[in-house]
Order: sequence, then structure tokens, then C-alpha cells
Amino acid sequence: MPAAIGQELVALLPRLRRFAFVLCRSQPLADDLVQGACERALANADSWTPGTKFDAWMFRILRNYWIDHLRRMRTEGMAEDLSQQTQLVGDPGEGPILSRLVLSEVQRAIDNLPQEQREVLLLVCAEELSYRETAEILGVPIGTVMSRLARARKRLMETTAAA
Amino acid sequence: MSQLHLSDEILMAFADGELDERTAAAIAKAMAEDPAVAKRVMDFQQSRRLTRSAFSAAPMPEVPPRMLAAVLDRVKAYEATDRTSASSSVVAPNRGWFRRKTPVVQMALAASIAAVALALGYFAGSQERTGAGGLMAQLGSPTVHGALSGIPSGQDVELPFGRLRVISTYRRADRGLCREFRLHSSSEAVAAVACRNGEWNATFAVASAADDTYAPSGGDDLMATYLQSINAGAPLIGEAESRALAETNR
Repeated sequence: MPAAIGQELVALLPRLRRFAFVLCRSQPLADDLVQGACERALANADSWTPGTKFDAWMFRILRNYWIDHLRRMRTEGMAEDLSQQTQLVGDPGEGPILSRLVLSEVQRAIDNLPQEQREVLLLVCAEELSYRETAEILGVPIGTVMSRLARARKRLMETTAAA
Repeated sequence: MSQLHLSDEILMAFADGELDERTAAAIAKAMAEDPAVAKRVMDFQQSRRLTRSAFSAAPMPEVPPRMLAAVLDRVKAYEATDRTSASSSVVAPNRGWFRRKTPVVQMALAASIAAVALALGYFAGSQERTGAGGLMAQLGSPTVHGALSGIPSGQDVELPFGRLRVISTYRRADRGLCREFRLHSSSEAVAAVACRNGEWNATFAVASAADDTYAPSGGDDLMATYLQSINAGAPLIGEAESRALAETNR
């Protein structure tokens, strides 16, 4: 079903950009990653099983694309240089209990986590994917997803006053 | 349940609703008995809420028009190609992505839940270790089919590639006969269900490495969920099972 893939892909673009940004911390690079991943997805559209989660499949392609990119660049450190780009102004409609101050504190804490912890945090807590789906996207065992996620969340609670 | 280890991971999995009912009940009990445990669980719930709020508070900016145009172009080009001739250009699935080409997987995909099981990380891992096929590839073999028609539940049989144990036998609502069984070798284990429709077909399979250590909501839950999803009902026992098996040999 080619038509369906195209539509879902376009609808998913904002979330793909968000994930790409969490991975690489640079909006121009994130956009390159998303476009490259879209091309790859279309070229491999046959490997998507209709009825399974399209977003999880797409996140995985995007992440593999990112890994390939890193490998090509041989600059694992580049993600570190490109921080400080998140615009973190709270939308007052979201999370009425939490003040903007608390939120930006949490956002800063998330930004300071290692990349491998940021990505599991996004996939599980914001994208609401299961551990299993996340493990598949990352290509690691469920146990690894759990230990990274638990570490990230403990860290978050330790470093924010909201705890 | 006294030996349940209250690790961060398991308490977090409870907070995230990722545990099977039995373990979740044990955690709930531990929380009731010890406020410190309850606090740890609530912290995990809180960190999830905070994370979700933090991400959704940062607005997802609109997709830049140039990017959208580029992607739409690609989609259009993709939709214009003849899908049948394009299939030759399809790149092999990435490493770790589950294998779609083997007949076993095809069969397993017949049940939608199987897609979930096969997508497990540890499944991919064990496949890599044991090379092409492994025990999964044996699920469709005549030896296995013969054993399924022959041995009663609870019995083991030694096969050239490992040990097969039939766990239970079920009659589905549509009268089809299904059997849950396990295959073990020194390096891996497969839990599977085969259903009979003229012959045995594997409809579900979860593989794990024999040395697999910590898999909190692993194969057993999936198996239970799968059996529930096919309305397996109560297992056939004693005479009922023998009669059902006799049918398959006619």
C-alpha cells in the first residue's frame, strides 16, 4: 500500500524532526537526517508490515541513518559541540500543575543527559512507545533499554527541584 | 514472591505498566508494606510526567516548506514507480531487524501478535549468535510435525537438533487443534505454537538464547497473550487430548 506510506510519512515529519534533534542537537543536521531517513524508508517500503506501528518502524530507520552518519563522519563527539539550540518556552496549556520554571529545569536536566539516555527517555516517556518497541528501534536488548531509562529518570529526579 | 528483587528497573516497569499481572501484584504488595518502595515507584511516575510535559512544552515547530516539498516529491516519485519492477531494488533488511524471508517468519506473521514477539531485541540477538535459522528453522520440519502428532503433553522427545517438549493442547473456537511446545538446544530455546489445518503450521514463536538472563516481560507473557488472543481456552487433558491426537493421525 504505497499511498498510505506516503501520507503517514508526511504526518510523522514533526515527530521525526523532534527525535532527530534529540539525537544530534542541531536543527539543520536533524532536517538532513529526516530527509535521508524518508528516502531510505521509501526505498525499503516493502519491509514495513502493514498493521504494525509505522512510527516505530520509521524511528528505527531514522536512528540507523543517524548511526551510519556518525560512522561516516567518525566524529562521535560532534553531538556535544552542537548543544544549546533547544527553544524551551513552555506552552501554558500543557501541564498546568508545573510551572515554567520547573519545566525549563527539567528540560535542562534532559539536555544534560547522555544521548543514549535522552533517546530512550523521548521514545518511552514522550512518544509512549513500549520498552519492547524502543528496544527494537535501538537494536538493543530490553534490559538495556530499562537500565538506561531508569538511570535517566533517577538522574532527572535528583537534578530537579520538582522531585 | 519473597525473592522478588526490587530493582530500579522493575519498579520503573511497574510505574510504566510494563509488568505482567503476577509481578505487578507482587510489587503492589511490596509498596503497601513499605512506603520507601512506594516512594521509589511514585518517583518513576513523576519522572515520566515531567519528561512528557517537558517535551510537549517545547513546541514542535512547523516543518519547513522546503523540506515538506522535498519529501512530498520523493513520495510522489515512489508512488509513480511500478511496485513490481521496483522490488529488485529493495535493500536487504538492516541487521537486527527481524528476518522476513524465512518461511518460519512468514508463518508466524500470520498471527499479528507474532510480529510483536519477533521484534524483540533478544530474538534478534539469538538469531545472530546461532546463525541462519537455528531452532526457528526447525519448526516446520517433518520431525517436529511427527512429534506434535505423536507425543502427549508434558512429555519430552529427543530430536537431532534438540529436545522437544509439548506443553499443552488446545481446541480453538473454530475447532482447530493447537499445541504449545518448546524446543531446546544447548544455545537457544524456542517457545512456539503450531496449529493444525491438514498439517501442522507454526503460528507463533518466541526465541531466546539459552543463557538469557533478565527478561522481565519476556517470552512467557507473550505466549500467554498469544494463547488468549486465539481464544485457546482450557487445555485438553487426558482422554480428550488422546482423542484429538488420534484425529491427526488419520
